[in-house]
Amino acid sequence: MTELGSEARKKSEQAKPKPALNFLLLSAGSMFTSMIVAGFLVGYALDQLFDTTPIFLLGCAVLGFIGGIQKVHRLTSRIDLPAETKEEKDEQKS
Amino acid sequence: MGTVEYIQHHLTNNSIGEGFWTFNMDTIVVSLLLGALIVFAAARLGKQLESGTPGGFQNFVESILDFVSTNVRDAFPGHNPLIAPLALTIFLWVWLMNFMDLIPVDLLPYLYQLITGDSHAYLKVVPTTDLNTTLAMAFTVFALIIFYNIKIKGVGGFIKMFLFHPFGKFFVPVNIVMTLIEEVSKPLSLALRLFGNMFAGELVFLLIALIGGTLAVGAAALFWAPLQVLLDLGWLIFHLLVITLQAFIFMVLTIVYLGMAHDEGH
Repeated sequence: MTELGSEARKKSEQAKPKPALNFLLLSAGSMFTSMIVAGFLVGYALDQLFDTTPIFLLGCAVLGFIGGIQKVHRLTSRIDLPAETKEEKDEQKS
Repeated sequence: MGTVEYIQHHLTNNSIGEGFWTFNMDTIVVSLLLGALIVFAAARLGKQLESGTPGGFQNFVESILDFVSTNVRDAFPGHNPLIAPLALTIFLWVWLMNFMDLIPVDLLPYLYQLITGDSHAYLKVVPTTDLNTTLAMAFTVFALIIFYNIKIKGVGGFIKMFLFHPFGKFFVPVNIVMTLIEEVSKPLSLALRLFGNMFAGELVFLLIALIGGTLAVGAAALFWAPLQVLLDLGWLIFHLLVITLQAFIFMVLTIVYLGMAHDEGH
């Protein structure tokens, strides 16, 4: 198979609906929380490193919050339905 | 024993050593035994594989294998012979460790106390209600993520991922911190989700067990004991779903994170 062919195949593989991944939505909440917690942890470590308590702690917590929202948004914006239902939905739209 | 002591007693590990070098022996022994159970069952089954009409157990194992390999094919973009066995190990092991939750909460601690003769001996049989287990597994996965990140993308690519993701090249310092937070949050969310769900489940089992322990005195037992059985059965059926789901999510997230490490365009 040519390089181009395998590339196209990879694309279509990626475009295929993966309903199993929808279970990840269950963990959206804990992902969000852990992003904030990780922000605090990284901030705490940086503060210890540079002796700047509490600047990095607060800054990284805010960054973790932003990142958490971004992550959850990315997760929820690509819900994959099973193939048939997706086609039905597309038909309804058109 | 009061209710608070009862719950505390059940949630304390049987540990040796102190400080940083505390070993929760019950967690270690039970998880090792369950791991050995998987190895033993797999080795026994491997000796008597049939290609024609498989027996019941082989059929069952094949369906699990099929389920895991479908998920790996769905969620994993690259080719890596390590991922499917890893996913299978995680799924089976986490499921078995979670399953210890469904054994009546007082049974194993009581037997242990009988055997040792110490009526206050601690025993916490569910390894996944110990944060050490879940964190250890999450850090193992995390180490694999970093290893494959560097192996696939190269050291330069790994550093580039830190510099230019997610906000583009004009926010390099913010990007570094942001990617750092994102990477740290991966093992954290893996470990805390599993631990939280299993710990909460165990706690509810303990509370239901307390109904019989504290309220069922004399004639009142006629009312409370059946209620306890009913509640226990209900929570057990629901929890069977939870433990399967948690094992499944741990597996899928491992696959997805490792898939992200293999994805060069990321």
